[in-house]
Amino acid sequence: MSLKEQLKKDFSTITLTLMAVAIVLNIVLGQVVSLLKLPIFLDSIGTVLVALLAGPWAAALTGLLTNLIWGLISDPVAAAFAPVALIIGLAAGLCAKYGLFKKWWQAIISGVIITLALSIIAIPIRVYMFGGVTGSGADFITAYLLATGRDLFSAVIVTVIGDNLIDKVVTALLAWGIVKGLPKRFTARFPRASAVTE
Amino acid sequence: MLIPHSLYQPGETLVHRLHPLTKLVYSLAAAAIIFGGPGMWLSAILPGLLAILLLWRAGLTGRAVIMVLRLLAPLTLVLFLVHGLFNPQNQTILIQLGPFFVGQEGLAFAALIVVRLIAVLVSSLSFVMTTHPAHLVQALEEAGLPRRLAYLLGSPLLIMPQLAGRVQAIQAAQQARGLETQGNLLMRIRALFPLVAPFIFSALVDVEERSLALEVRGFSASTPKTSLFELPDTPAQHTARWVMFLLAAFLLAAGFWWRANGGH
Repeated sequence: MSLKEQLKKDFSTITLTLMAVAIVLNIVLGQVVSLLKLPIFLDSIGTVLVALLAGPWAAALTGLLTNLIWGLISDPVAAAFAPVALIIGLAAGLCAKYGLFKKWWQAIISGVIITLALSIIAIPIRVYMFGGVTGSGADFITAYLLATGRDLFSAVIVTVIGDNLIDKVVTALLAWGIVKGLPKRFTARFPRASAVTE
Repeated sequence: MLIPHSLYQPGETLVHRLHPLTKLVYSLAAAAIIFGGPGMWLSAILPGLLAILLLWRAGLTGRAVIMVLRLLAPLTLVLFLVHGLFNPQNQTILIQLGPFFVGQEGLAFAALIVVRLIAVLVSSLSFVMTTHPAHLVQALEEAGLPRRLAYLLGSPLLIMPQLAGRVQAIQAAQQARGLETQGNLLMRIRALFPLVAPFIFSALVDVEERSLALEVRGFSASTPKTSLFELPDTPAQHTARWVMFLLAAFLLAAGFWWRANGGH
């Protein structure tokens, strides 16, 4: 299949509407879970859902646009992390493509892989643009590691991975559970969904 | 619970009436110069000052200051604390605090980061606060962005209020059925799926209807489409966009050269 045909298949009208809804899920869902006071934010669940249903390219674009729109409507700082969201989509999509989203324990492995992939992009952005801090509770750990003699870069590696690991594993598990629970007549409309459901 | 729908502040000032692309190019060029330009302070301060001037002409200085404080105040505090006390490059002792000391190098580093963040934030605010999101999407489409991509930028803004309303309905419904959202960690983890899943399922069910509705209205048709609004553009703004683009490219190159020759 040529690249053009693949792109056409990956970006059908129903995939586009799925991506639009997924962008809103990314932005809105954090509000629901904040009620539970868990250390998760679920701001990439829509992206991972797109990754499972429509593949890595559609998911990467979903992540990128989520943060750009977020920057437009509420917090311009979020736009700086758009490349991170892009990598999350790409990594999740590739995991699904190579059969790492068939069983629940595979979803956990995928969550770990997504965390490692996003760290590669998130760490330089945090260090170079934000001086290694975020204004959240994770900064205590950064401060502690700096005080014990680490350099800024390795201190941020620890906080970024610690911050994201639980969140991305839970996100991957939830997305897996939801795609498994979707009716067949819905998932059948997405060419990539069979990599997860079969 | 408030989910904001836009930072846009309606107005009729000169800044509001600028073409969206002009303001977009300005904020992107400013971000590139602030983080990539040569010299540390000057490259950060000049684009920021220009943006403050724009915000002042748009009558939005007060709102912009509140936004900057809300978004950057906690970060600023932590930056000065962490780097003042623990930056590994601290040599010059300013204040001794028991076993710790406040170092000059760390404070200078924190100050630079804060100035850069403020500059990049006011630059993007001068764009997003004076530009209606729909006008931006239209401008991008007129400039050649594929229509499908333009849809992806514009449509979430319209779906958001609708889905945000549903969040509250599902929360209330599940709590009425006795869902425990407080209690120990295990109880809260178990509440996660019943809170999140119905919301996602119902949002996904909409997807099919939406795509059918779009297809029926000729979304995939390749014929040119007419827009209700017209965005005024001027030759001067067209030139200004190119000048800003070239200036940013030049300063980025200069910044690379400056860093390669020992700048920080």
